[in-house]
Amino acid sequence: MTELTLLRDKHIKYIESLDNKKDDYEYWLSEHLRLNGVYWGLTALCIMDSKDTFKKDEVIEFVMSCWDLKRGGFGPFPRHDSHLLTTLSAVQILATYDSLSVLEKDDKLELCVQFIVGNQLPDGSFQGDRFGEVDTRFVYTALNALSILGKLTPEVVDPAVQYILKCYNFDGGFGLFPGAESHAAQAFTCLGALKIANRLDALTASQIEETGWWLSERQLPDGGLNGRPSKLPDVCYSWWVLSSLAIIGKLDWIDYEGLKEFILEAQDDVKGGISDRPNNEVDVYHTIFGLAGLSLMGFYDLIPIDPTYCMPTSVTATFKKYPYIGK
Amino acid sequence: MHGIKRQQYSREILKQKRIQDQQKIKTYKDLTHSALDTRDKGIFTTDALQLTSKILELNPEFNTIWNYRRDIILTVTNDVKPDFWENELQFTMEKLKRFPKVYWIWNHRIWVLDNYPNATDKIWLRELFVVDKLLSMDARNYHGWHYRRLIVKKLESINGKLMDKEELKYVTTIINKNISNYSAWHQRVQLITNIFNKHELNKKEMKDMVLSEISYITNAIYTDADDQSVWFYTNWFIANDIVRLVLTNDEYIKMLKDIKDNVILINNDDVEFSGKENNWCLKILIVIEKTLKEAGYELDKDEHTEEYLKKLIDNDPQRRNRYIYLSTKQ
Repeated sequence: MTELTLLRDKHIKYIESLDNKKDDYEYWLSEHLRLNGVYWGLTALCIMDSKDTFKKDEVIEFVMSCWDLKRGGFGPFPRHDSHLLTTLSAVQILATYDSLSVLEKDDKLELCVQFIVGNQLPDGSFQGDRFGEVDTRFVYTALNALSILGKLTPEVVDPAVQYILKCYNFDGGFGLFPGAESHAAQAFTCLGALKIANRLDALTASQIEETGWWLSERQLPDGGLNGRPSKLPDVCYSWWVLSSLAIIGKLDWIDYEGLKEFILEAQDDVKGGISDRPNNEVDVYHTIFGLAGLSLMGFYDLIPIDPTYCMPTSVTATFKKYPYIGK
Repeated sequence: MHGIKRQQYSREILKQKRIQDQQKIKTYKDLTHSALDTRDKGIFTTDALQLTSKILELNPEFNTIWNYRRDIILTVTNDVKPDFWENELQFTMEKLKRFPKVYWIWNHRIWVLDNYPNATDKIWLRELFVVDKLLSMDARNYHGWHYRRLIVKKLESINGKLMDKEELKYVTTIINKNISNYSAWHQRVQLITNIFNKHELNKKEMKDMVLSEISYITNAIYTDADDQSVWFYTNWFIANDIVRLVLTNDEYIKMLKDIKDNVILINNDDVEFSGKENNWCLKILIVIEKTLKEAGYELDKDEHTEEYLKKLIDNDPQRRNRYIYLSTKQ
């Protein structure tokens, strides 16, 4: 058996090829994920130290073409409606390119902040857009984007933190809603939101130990991680679980070697990219989260990734830390 | 993409696929452009609604089109036929059956119910049967359980009557069907907590409930000692406020010691049967010892936490650093 290794060049080629698939029906069916896809692809390239694979000007032009003139914020594709999820992707891409200044034109920065803040509900939660879907994903998305833009305020942060705490469960995990079952991706969004708010201290040491325990039990005998008990492993949890453990300072509560093997086995050694599980179809979502997991564990000299923002630490180091002191 | 088998297309197959895709792409793009143009012209009619149906049929994840659909519905709502809202629920049900994990569809269904004119409790009660059906097809569906909680909350507020006790019967049935259903165990915690916090039982009933829960757990750990669902539940149950309030300290200590004895028995059985200790038994024994000490019980020579941790470091190496951390805290 040949020893598995990271197929870096193939993954770069795979990500590069994603925009050349306009003859595939699937490309058009996934328009609603395009901007997220660009963020995933760009961040994956950054981790592999190959940021220049994408043409910066073209990407920024595409991002700005997704601006929602009617409501502010960004949609996933030109003419699509804005949503918190895609607004975060836009802000992340612009920050990664050190190009947030493009928002200064036509008051876009102000409108973008208004769009995000305008989706906060009285109980501190956020809806994804005006149609009222509530999920801790959106609290994270909102706080993350506002943090990158340097526009967090106690009026937004304090109720949001209270809401997140209501989603803490008996098993140490977090759900998408108060009373909802723990899910590893929700652990990431809730811990990430608390970290951005600089309020991890709202959880006691023993609560955090319970969180660490529940997260560490996501690792299965084959090394892969699942998102909930008795579910199959999936490469994307290499990110949701690991980043959560990293945020609470317990990254080494799972076995790195086992997880590394699981991620590497999910690579497509012909066309590049990483899939959810070995021998399944690859996509850019699992590619970024597999790579980000490997980076967090310190394998292959990958570029360090920030577990809270899922962006290179060199980028996040420039963000203003909340609470803002002085002016 | 989740759970889709990988395929390596040959050049020939890829060429074939591209030819077939051409027509599909054209149809899809024409429909999309047509809908977005109509929207931008401010047209909100039942014809436009048909257009969104066609697109959502092809792509139920197109949230901008769902949004347009809702804006149309809000505009035409006074002119629609009486069966319009029923048809809309039917429309989302067809989609949910095919795509039970798409957030946008669940979201639309809730929106339809929230906007259903003069919706009586009958409409929401029927929804409880709908979600029953969906959960019977996938008993762990994350959206389905969330949806169930939303429906119950709505019914409780319409009828002014709590449903925790009925729901507890439901989750018990689900757990009895499959003891590894963590979603159901999770829901059990929510319901029992509600029942106590909202004072739904008198003192005697509360005590009966705690005692019957102890035997339920004991049965469960004997049934499947390798499944983490029941262990996480046990970990919660033995140290939660409800049990502490209902039992006297002596009764509480007795409960802990009884569970401890049972866990030791299960572990010994495993050793006898497979030559290996049961890691979950060891993990819970550590919690029980800690809880006993917190309740003021002196373990003295009976304390084995250090020994259990040493064993776990060897037997459960994936999580060894957690056990090392716990040892250093001792």
